[in-house]
Formats: sequence, structure tokens, C-alpha cells
Amino acid sequence: MTTSTNTEPETTPTPYRSHLHPTHAGFPRLLHAEWTKFRTVRAWLLVLVAAAVATVLITQLSASGSVTSGGPDAIHGPDGTTVTDSFRFTHRPLTGDGSVTARVTGLKTADDRSVEPWAKAGLIVKSSLRQGSSYAAVLATPGHGVRMQWNFTHDTAGSDSAVTTAPRWLRLTRTGDRLTGYESADGANWSKIEDVSLSGLPKTVQVGLVLATPGHQDVHRSFGGSSQSSGGGRATATYDHLTLRGTSTTTPWTSTDVGAPTPNAPAPHNARPDSTTTVTDGTYTLTGQGDIAPDQGGPDIVQMSFQGVFVGILFMIALGALFVTGEYKRGLIRTTFTATPARLKVLAAKTTVIGAVTFVAGLAAVAVGYTLAQSTLRGNGFGPPAFPDYPLLENPALRAVLGSAALLSLVAVLALAVGVVLRNSAGAIATVVMLVILPQILSFAFPLPAARWLLRVTPAAAFAVQQGVKKYDFTSHNCLPEGGCYPLSPGNGLTVLAAYTAAALLLAAWTVRRRDA
Amino acid sequence: MSDATIEVRGLRKRFGRTLAVDGLSFTVEPGTVTGFVGPNGAGKSTTLRALLGLDAPDEGQALIAGRPYHALRTPLLEVGALLDAAALHPARRGRDHLRWLAHSHGLPVRRVDDVLAQVGLESAARRRAGGYSLGMRQRLGIAAALLGDPPILLLDEPVNGLDPEGIQWIRRLLRRLAAEGRAILVSSHLMSELEDTADHLVVIGRGRLIADTSVSELLHAASGDRVRLRTEARTQAMELLAREGGRVAVTDRDTLIVTGLPASRVVELLTEARVPFAEVGAHRATLEEAYMELTRDKAEFTSATETADEVTR
Repeated sequence: MTTSTNTEPETTPTPYRSHLHPTHAGFPRLLHAEWTKFRTVRAWLLVLVAAAVATVLITQLSASGSVTSGGPDAIHGPDGTTVTDSFRFTHRPLTGDGSVTARVTGLKTADDRSVEPWAKAGLIVKSSLRQGSSYAAVLATPGHGVRMQWNFTHDTAGSDSAVTTAPRWLRLTRTGDRLTGYESADGANWSKIEDVSLSGLPKTVQVGLVLATPGHQDVHRSFGGSSQSSGGGRATATYDHLTLRGTSTTTPWTSTDVGAPTPNAPAPHNARPDSTTTVTDGTYTLTGQGDIAPDQGGPDIVQMSFQGVFVGILFMIALGALFVTGEYKRGLIRTTFTATPARLKVLAAKTTVIGAVTFVAGLAAVAVGYTLAQSTLRGNGFGPPAFPDYPLLENPALRAVLGSAALLSLVAVLALAVGVVLRNSAGAIATVVMLVILPQILSFAFPLPAARWLLRVTPAAAFAVQQGVKKYDFTSHNCLPEGGCYPLSPGNGLTVLAAYTAAALLLAAWTVRRRDA
Repeated sequence: MSDATIEVRGLRKRFGRTLAVDGLSFTVEPGTVTGFVGPNGAGKSTTLRALLGLDAPDEGQALIAGRPYHALRTPLLEVGALLDAAALHPARRGRDHLRWLAHSHGLPVRRVDDVLAQVGLESAARRRAGGYSLGMRQRLGIAAALLGDPPILLLDEPVNGLDPEGIQWIRRLLRRLAAEGRAILVSSHLMSELEDTADHLVVIGRGRLIADTSVSELLHAASGDRVRLRTEARTQAMELLAREGGRVAVTDRDTLIVTGLPASRVVELLTEARVPFAEVGAHRATLEEAYMELTRDKAEFTSATETADEVTR
């Protein structure tokens, strides 16, 4: 092998020592270095400004194009939620404690359509006949078993027995403010469904049989648009063994259509022409329509004030990717890792800087965009009471604004992490656009189950954070992607994106440690 | 182990099917400029990247001041490196490039202006690096290497793209930095660039060490003690010098190369014997010639000393 001839230099000098004070290369200094890198490339600052401006402009443009002539006055439930509250009600007043029991023996449609899965036949305790008043109900449904529901936004599932195949015994008991729902197969062995407290329930309430069925909804979807038609949806339910225990005036059972066009007019005007109640040998047959549920169908003016985010995201993706792929492209990453051999710290510093910068710019853009869009929408007819005020600093607007800023920031970090793995600008940008934007577009074209699946499992789920109207899964509302409906809750949607970002960062960390720079 | 040494021990690095560095070992001592020489693709840059912790060696060690690079707490204060002068963001100003580096170690911005002055780049410091000539980029890269005032410098082809004035400047700079006691490793694929700069040479080919020797020793070995003689009385001179113990080789009609006798003795003998001659001089090999001889036969397994000794003209 080689032998080397070592010759000492003519003089043996004292080894040199740096005259600079050795300062530890701590994390704040690394942040300072990465921030300096970011702000000294003017193009990146311009992209950031462009992202903010585009977000505001597109949001404003979209809001200007949305006009409503105003709908019927909205009904609000006890917690302020916009609700639907119309149903066939065969009732008696109950003063003080008591209980009502009945057996639901059948539920079918009164027309040619198939019965709606969320048709409801059962017992209700309601504080008054006024729409939106507080209530608790035990309900048998054809498609979702037995439920106990109260005050529109609360739901507890009982057994999954379908009322269309077997009769079901139901009982609702009032003790002070407490209402307890029971169900039974035979009227002898009862099981409790839920025990709830309705504050402010008056001493005298209306109790009795309830029948409601939402209209049937036909959806015709084609790429870029869809049309919905709903109609019919009359149902007939039969009950027997109706008993009321407790103090009630001796009034007979009365039938009312809650939510009929003139609910306070004297009978028979308060009944819809096609609603009927017949009593034969203790069997009550109710026919009617309507629903008792949160109203999920109206435009979501909170969500409508974030349309520009979709465009802002493109800029943020580019920014996140370029912040790191630019270094790989030119070999600058070697200078970076020479200055800081702890590569994970470099990744953390880059992530922090790009995350913070895009969050701040995004927050400013969506806050301004939201405020302007809300004022535009007011001018275009979206006013209270049908469209209540959603102040910027209160939920759900605050959550949607912060969530949108987080969405913009997480997407930028995702692009950065993918950039570290791929080391290529075009590849990183294309990958993240495909993950975040493409599912949105495809969801308009795909069949509903596939579309909903896409919006659950891809980072596009995060757009749910912009929804101002809370989605309830116990309603018959069709969740259509083109209608701005996302299957996940705002928090869960954002979590899906955060999970993708975290996974990409882990992969980036693994890559950056393992691979040669 | 001294604070200012570069040490490579049994370094081996493979990229796919190519063995880029194959069991390389050498040491760079403080106070010297060591030339790191080999043809393109010999493994110089890979070795430098391994020293800087950028490439993980498959085997062996690459140590800075006795430690692997990633163990350095403040690397810029211990090693200055110039790998690729083009590694700049074109939209970033030269001064800003140095500023983020300074921030990463908490160095004062004053230090940035110091090194800019040191490399003569003050006037261009506030221009975008994208508009820099290759020579200006080299100067900015050297400024970055000097930022932490480090006792060790690793420079990959720093002379590339410099004009003659720049080459003179960098030679003086490297000599001065070495005289301060720094250990300097300068790679080059052209031996002539290291003439008058390097004290010591590490020559590699195909990832293996060919020579690790001082420049003076290499030149001496390549030159031998040969004397070049021009005379019209060729036969007479050959007989005379051979009788006096010299070995004489004929190179052309009137030129002889004499080995074993110093030039002064040759002149003395020829004068005494009244043999006419036109020119006598020591034959001095250039660094380039010495290098060509070293690498001519790709004698990778032969030691540097042997190779030099066997050289005959």
C-alpha cells in the first residue's frame, strides 16, 4: 500500500486560533439566519404579498357575485341555531311531572315514494306550540333506529330497531327540568335511552304524538354543477296504547300542524289540507310532513367569505417549496449544513420561519377578506335575521379566520417538507397541489360516496374549517361538495391536513438525516 | 491532536457502482498550504464533502481538529469552506449571503464588512449575487470561509475563474493565512495553479492516494541532480564525464543530460580538459512535470518516493 513521506514544514508554527468569541449556535440564531434568508430574496416577499392580495381580491369578487333576495324568516332553536320545526302533533297539555307512553306500530309513506330514512314517529314534550321552542322527543325512524333528540342540535341513538319492520314502545318522562326517554320491544322491559335537562321548561308543556318526514331530495350532479329537487315526502304513522300519566286538564287530544302557514289561526286553518289524524279503537293514525332538525340547507355566509383562500394556497405552496428546493437546486443547502451540521435543527428552523411568515400574512389576508366580504354580502341581501351577524372576533367567524390562516400555513409547511424529500421545485409544487387542490375539483365530478371519501382522507378536508354552519350528521341534508359541504367537522378537517404535514415532516427529517447533502 | 489539523483515515465512499474514494488517508498540519491534487473525478470533492459532514463515509473517518464535523459546536469558527462558488441565491445580495451565515453563529454584522474588505468585494456587496462574475463569486465564497476567522480552511478549486491579478491575490492570501498558523487544504485539478502556493501535496487518482509529499521533495525527486549540457564535442565530453563518475545520457545531437555530478564540477572538468561547451545548467522540473510523471503510469500502488526515484529521462 502507500507509504507517505511526511516532511515537517521548515518552521513549526503555533496553530492558529479564531479571534472571534465562540458563541453557541443556538436555535434562536438559526431562526434569525433562516429569517434573514427569507427576507433577503425580494421575489419571496412579493409572492407573500401576492398571496395576500389575491386572497382578498378573489374573496371580494366572489362575495360581490353572490346576491339573495332574502328568504322566509328563519326560525331559531333555543341555542340560536337556524332550525326547521314543522310537524304533525297530536297533543295535550301536561302540568308538572308526568309521562307519556305509546307504541309505534308502523311508519310508511303516504305517496308512492320510499319512506325517508329520517322520517320520525314518536313522542315529544315541547314547551309550547311555537316553532323553535325547546323540546325533547323519543323517535322511531325507518333508517336510523330509535333516537332521543332535544332542542334540535342534540341526538342520542337508542336501539337500531327499524320501525318499518317491528312495532316499538316509547316512553318520555318529565321530572322537573329532567326528561328521560325509554324504549321497549314489548311494553314490559324498558331501557333508558338518555336523560337530559331542559332548562327553562314551563310548568305546563305540550306532550303527545309526533310525526315528521323530510321531503325527498333528488340530486342531479354533473361536473361543475348540480340541481336538487325535493318534494312529496308525506308519511303516515300508526300508534296505539297512548297513555298520559300526570296532571292534565281534561281537554281531549288535539292535532296541530306545528309550523303551518298560519299556526295561530283557529282550526281548521291551522291544519294543512293533507294532514290528518284519525282515531279508531285506540289506534291513532297521523299523516303529515315536515322535520324537526337543524336547518342545513341555506347558504353559509361565513364560508362564502373565504373563497380567495383557494387561490392564496397556490402562492403559499410555491413559497414553501421554493424556500428549500432553491437551496438544493444551487447547492446552497451544503453551505447551510456546513454552517449548521444539525440538520434537524435546520429543518425545524425553516419550518418555523415559513410557518410563521405564511400564517401572519395569511391571517391578515383572510381577516381583511372576511370583513370586506361580509359587508359586501350584507349589501347583497344576506342580512339578519335569516343571515345573522357573524362578528370577526367571535366564533364561528374567528375559528374560520384562524383556521384558514392555519390552513395556508400548514400547506406551505407541507410543501417545504415535500421539497426536502423531492429536492425539486416543480415536483414538490405539483405534489402538494395534487394533494390539496385536486381532490376539491375531483369531488365535483366523482359520485357522492367517492367525493365524500376524497374530502375526508385528503388534505382538502381542511377546507371544512371555513364552514360557519355546524354540520349535524343526524339530518337528512345532502352534503354536496359543490354546495361547500365538507364531511368532516372544522377541527377534524384541519387535523387531517396537520397529520399530512406532520407525516411529510417526519419523512423529510428521515431523508435529511439519511441522505448525503 | 492539534486544534488545527485535518485528518482523513481510511476514508471510503461509494456512489452506486462507483468507488469515489477508496481507502484514502492523509493529514494536513497547521501552518501549511496543502495542495489536494488529482484529475477531475479523482475523489477530491467527495473527500472535502466527507470532511464537512455533508457525505457520510462508508468506512473510515474524516476529522477536523480530531473530531467529526457534526461534533463541532461552532463549525464556522473552526473550519472555513468554499465548495462551490455558484452556491448562491441569485436574488440575494452578496452582503446578505454573509449576513445569514453570520447570524447562524451570532457573529456581529461588523464581521461581515471585515471579510468583504478582506476579499476586496465592498463595492459589489450590495449587488445581487446573480450578477456576479465567477471571480466575484469566488471572492464571496472565500469571504464566507473567512467569516468565522477559522484555523482551518478547505477550498475546492478556489482559483477557478480568477483573472491573473486574482490568482496573485489568492496566492498571497493563502501564504499569509498559512503563515498565521492555519491549516489550509486547497484542491485543484491543475498542478500549475499550486506552483508557488502549496508547501505540501496530497495527490490522488481514482480515489486512492498517489503521493503525500512536500513540494520541495517532489521537485527534487523529479529533477534529480541532473545537469543539462550543450556541446558540439559530444563524444569527448561523454568520455570525460563518464571517467569522472557521471552517468551521461544523450537526448539529441548536441545535448547531454549528466547525472551524478553537480553542475559546478561539470563546468570545472570541461574547462580543465578544454572541451568546448555552449551551455550548462541544472535541470529543474516544474511541478507540472513532476505531477505528470507521478500520474503517467497510474502507478497507484507504488509509493510516491519509489515513483519519484525511478524516474529517468
